[in-house]
Amino acid sequence: MKRTVQKVLCLMTILSLLILTACSGEATEKDNTGNEKKQDSKSMFIGLVNPPTGFNPINAGDVAAMFIQKYFQDTLLEMDGPLNFVPRLAESFESEDGQHYTVKINKDAKWTDGTPVTSEDLAFTINTIANPKSETSQGANISMLAGLEANGKLPEGQTELSSVKIIDDKTVELTTAVPVDPNYMKEIFGLNVLTLPKHILGDVPVEELSKHSYMQNPTVSSGAFKFVKYEKDQFVELAANKDYYLGTPELEKLFIKIMPAPNLVGQLQTGELDFNVSKGIGKIAVQDYETVEGLKNVVTNVEPTIGFQTMYFNNTKFNNEVRTALSMAIDRQLIVDKLLKGFGEVIDGPYSSVSPFLDKSVGAIEYNPEKAKEMLEKAGFDFNTPLEFVVPIGNKVREQSAPIIAQSLEAIGVKTKITNYDFPTIMAKGKEGAFDLLLLGFTLTLDPDVSSIYATGATYNFMGYSDPEMDALLVKGKQEPDTEKRKVIYSEIQKKIIEEAPIVTLYSDHDFSGVNKRVEFGKPVTFGMHHNLQKWSVSGAN
Amino acid sequence: MFQYIIRRILIAVPVLFGVTIFNFLIINLAPGNPVDMFVNPNMSVADITAKKEALGLNDPLWEQYGRWMGNLFQGDFGYSFSTYEPVISNIADRLGPTLLLMATALVIAYLIAIPIGILSATRQYSFIDYLTTTFSFFGISVPSFFLGLGAIYLFAIVFPIFPTGGMNTLGGSAGFTDTIMHLILPALVLGTGIAGSMVRYVRSSMLEVLGQDYLRTARAKGLHHFIVNNKHALRNALIPIVTIIGLEIPLLIGGAVVTEQIFQWPGLGQLTIQSIGSRDYPTLMALNFLAAITVLFSNLITDVMYSVVDPRIKYN
Repeated sequence: MKRTVQKVLCLMTILSLLILTACSGEATEKDNTGNEKKQDSKSMFIGLVNPPTGFNPINAGDVAAMFIQKYFQDTLLEMDGPLNFVPRLAESFESEDGQHYTVKINKDAKWTDGTPVTSEDLAFTINTIANPKSETSQGANISMLAGLEANGKLPEGQTELSSVKIIDDKTVELTTAVPVDPNYMKEIFGLNVLTLPKHILGDVPVEELSKHSYMQNPTVSSGAFKFVKYEKDQFVELAANKDYYLGTPELEKLFIKIMPAPNLVGQLQTGELDFNVSKGIGKIAVQDYETVEGLKNVVTNVEPTIGFQTMYFNNTKFNNEVRTALSMAIDRQLIVDKLLKGFGEVIDGPYSSVSPFLDKSVGAIEYNPEKAKEMLEKAGFDFNTPLEFVVPIGNKVREQSAPIIAQSLEAIGVKTKITNYDFPTIMAKGKEGAFDLLLLGFTLTLDPDVSSIYATGATYNFMGYSDPEMDALLVKGKQEPDTEKRKVIYSEIQKKIIEEAPIVTLYSDHDFSGVNKRVEFGKPVTFGMHHNLQKWSVSGAN
Repeated sequence: MFQYIIRRILIAVPVLFGVTIFNFLIINLAPGNPVDMFVNPNMSVADITAKKEALGLNDPLWEQYGRWMGNLFQGDFGYSFSTYEPVISNIADRLGPTLLLMATALVIAYLIAIPIGILSATRQYSFIDYLTTTFSFFGISVPSFFLGLGAIYLFAIVFPIFPTGGMNTLGGSAGFTDTIMHLILPALVLGTGIAGSMVRYVRSSMLEVLGQDYLRTARAKGLHHFIVNNKHALRNALIPIVTIIGLEIPLLIGGAVVTEQIFQWPGLGQLTIQSIGSRDYPTLMALNFLAAITVLFSNLITDVMYSVVDPRIKYN
């Protein structure tokens, strides 16, 4: 009997060794070439992790839904580089004075059912968003227009916004409440507002719009592709819109596949995916970067982004000295080097290196643990009570950065207690101020307005920071129409942010994606991802 | 018997009622609310308030529950807070795939577990017994995500026999064989996991019966050992196994969250996780309701099955 046990153990060892060898790298490379799935040259497959919640042009609650919609619903403009706007549904989008904007819709633009896209559609869209009874996530994108109440909605009883004037079939004039930076208008309004087809939805009562079947199955659209179907959590199928006003697309079909992050790598390897989207909704895990770089059929693409991660301090508990000291204790470079493997940058404020408003001359948050400790001692900081360190789950890198930060703080004698929560819980904790330290990430706009974080009582001002000077600067920056003058104001804001440290900005991670070599046009980029969709193409062979 | 079933069903009604109240309270106790999921920092406060009002989240809890119950009596499960689709169609879309996957996995598990369990019990302490015990340990202890990823790596990437995930080939005609090809890997992975624990139940249950006097009598009568084992012993050993099977039926609709995600199988498990993440109360309530019904129903089925496998058990 002892014999048999030995035999079994022996067999198991051999088996496990076999499995281990099979998992090693050589096996991968060997099989890599013979492994490509034959795919025709008219279909493209791109990969996402987050499933979309629906396709309501004015009420897309999540980033994935907004991303997918832009393949079949055209925005007025597209941005193909920092603040470089190019026409899309709007042929032109001009203003002389920063207050009156003339929007000319492309004269050939048609809905997929053949009806022309007109100024009526655009006006209908804006009025629907402004209607207090409609459910929308777009309200902030039209908030600069004149004639809205303080809450950004139409006054009771009104259904049409006076600042939206139809000039002719294809021309609309928009008036803002005060003159604004045209780039602000173009980015916030031009890149976000998706036009609703009035001939389909015009007669639907506003309250019932969000439950209308169009929002699940948008059969009539304006973009380069047409919506075919969405198989829940599996894929979105799109087909070419042959009559697209910017030219017939090269591709016949486009599939947006939804899968967990590890599968992105596997499917890039088998050729079932042409690229992963990155952008926070289709990210490959950092530990897989090397694997992707080693794939023979894939080239990698790295893009700096405007997204950034922060650590909130509870301002009601910690004064300016303590906050500055705690920021100085964190080795942010270590996070970028080790955790992001260099695919990211340390940022000293809410602007990354792609932002035209970044002013490095205002200074930086230095890393100096000794000085930090001294400052804390001088401020009479209580080293004995551990800090409540609240971390949201979802973003793996952010989760992993928490212990590194905790270690940095431990090194100067500050104890922390890390707790992870899911997102709705984090929001509840944030609103209650039930934290000492809290990690949170943002992807705002290229426009430098950051009042949603730093203004008194703002939606994301969980830290309880309130400074009248900052509030004044934020308002001034938002209302200044001249770009150069705005840069001065925002330099001032950056300086204040570093000095007062209401929160500490940690890093901005780069988008890393793998792109199959058969892709000839079209790849995941930070700016202009949906530009020239009609030119996207792949070759048949690999 | 018939009376017994009717009685059980009548008892089930207040139980269900209690379950829904309990669920509703627990779901609402979870911190955060559905509107918090709109993480877009560019969304205005007015929009958020309007959304809360439209979803009826500002009403007192009992009123929200009353509304839900009222709609339920009219067969209406309401609309999902995150996708704005009717909850019932959201669930219906995924019920089919989940049933297909879980039923296949359970069938695979029993096909593996029952013969192996019998074999292992009749040859206790033999090489085969050790091998199957090791196998069952393996099945129980290896997490399904590891097994799943390993299976994808081996059978979809190194040896590209099966697709890496999904339920149908994109762009292809979604035929029967195509679905079967997509089904094999996830069903096997799940089946192995369930079989692991099943083998141990079958083995121990068989061992207990095999030591009984009446089996010695049967053998002494000169009956063939095949008949002794598979007719006399198995039938008696089945009683505890039926209980286990009954307990596993709710799994059929619960889905397998991890396996579904790894293989991108569009089932109820994935829907549940998403609904929890987005605090989609109506969908969660409907899923819980469905689960409660299944549990109650399968318990009833199990009790009825007892009297089939063991004629001594009678209900009246």
